[in-house]
Amino acid sequence: MEAPPFGSLKFLFLLSEELQKIEWAGEMKFISYGVRFGVRANDERVLQALSDHLPPLVQPTTAPVDKLYSIILQKRINRRRALLHTLYEDGAVMAQVDSLEELYHFFETCLQLYVADSAPRRVFIHAGVVGWQGKAIVIPGRSFSGKTSLVVEFLKAGATYYSDEYAVLDQRGRVHPYPRLLSVREAGKAIGVKHRADNFGAKTGKAPLPIGLVVATKYQAGAVFRPRQLSTGEAILAIFDNTVSARRKPTVALSTIREAIGGAQLVKGIRGASKETVATILKKFTIPRAF
Amino acid sequence: MRAIEQIRPQARVEGLVIQEVADEVLVYDLDWDKAHCLNQSAAIVWKHCNGKNSVADLAQLLAAEAGLPTNEAMVWLALEQLGKARLLPERLAPASGQAKMSRREVMRKVGLASIIALPLVTSILAPTVAQAGSACTAQPCADTPTCVAFGCGPCVANKCT
Repeated sequence: MEAPPFGSLKFLFLLSEELQKIEWAGEMKFISYGVRFGVRANDERVLQALSDHLPPLVQPTTAPVDKLYSIILQKRINRRRALLHTLYEDGAVMAQVDSLEELYHFFETCLQLYVADSAPRRVFIHAGVVGWQGKAIVIPGRSFSGKTSLVVEFLKAGATYYSDEYAVLDQRGRVHPYPRLLSVREAGKAIGVKHRADNFGAKTGKAPLPIGLVVATKYQAGAVFRPRQLSTGEAILAIFDNTVSARRKPTVALSTIREAIGGAQLVKGIRGASKETVATILKKFTIPRAF
Repeated sequence: MRAIEQIRPQARVEGLVIQEVADEVLVYDLDWDKAHCLNQSAAIVWKHCNGKNSVADLAQLLAAEAGLPTNEAMVWLALEQLGKARLLPERLAPASGQAKMSRREVMRKVGLASIIALPLVTSILAPTVAQAGSACTAQPCADTPTCVAFGCGPCVANKCT
């Protein structure tokens, strides 16, 4: 098995067969958006903690899994040796870190991406999503693009929470909820603080929604949000640029996105502060109620 | 160097997923993992690149279908972008003596009131799973090759970007 390129640190690598010889504290199996996965750890406390880092709407299952995550907590032998905890995805090392917080964060991220890329009959777009007057407002964007900040302001304005991470599209073009805890980052930190939607006075959506508005935007300090209309083709490209399975199933992704934005308003623009941007959006764009 | 009358552009078809959206065309290049959006003018030129139409023919067809003035500069603008996007088997250039024109220069020459009508091909590189998601920023690193191995950007402050 290839060693991960972690610079000058030395690690003990376990082959897949060796993983089978570990005395596991337990193993759990789940299904999320049609994707079956398992997780095991050599420490009971880790298994308990992992339940806070699973995808939303996950259900336990007894069926065979397609992906197995293994977490090995290294026990301290002596003070001179660094403690490194390892996350495996099947037999491949995904991370070796010395902090449990980082380990859980990386587990959550890897699993989240695996589900997003593998979900049958769904196309996952990296985006913030809120419900407004029966339709979805979708804000596509990568990490650190400010999606969560905008989502929080929409919630404070009375929108329904769908996600701060993914717009989950079905083949009819509707957006399903991916209501994970909102991850609100503080300045200078990569890992956000988790918040429930009701912390902002918002309800969480359950039913899939048609898209009413797509807002492609990036934050720039001091900017005033003056969006321009996008053509359908431009909007599809902007969303495709944030599609998790873009390379694995491009035809399905493009068709699904096209179906999803058929009746939506499509805008793009640089924005400044989230609060003012959301106020502008809600004032400027009348999103017809869904019937 | 071929005489300009002999140039008969041919659209590439293999390895492409093509979807028409209203008057635009979306193209996914399976070989290069790139997605392109052709606006109406670019789509018309590309559609008629059948290996038989000359640049003059393409200009006539573009004028007829898009309601634009007949001008070969518009066609060359389209062909240049289509070639750069690898939607033609080879990159084509105007005959020697004819300088490549910018979009604004073409617009001034043709006399269009708006630059929007000019042929435009917008391209993106399809994101990898990690690029489209958040994994990169959680990945610790000692150097950039570590991050590249995970499909991420450079290593900054011991975290991939």
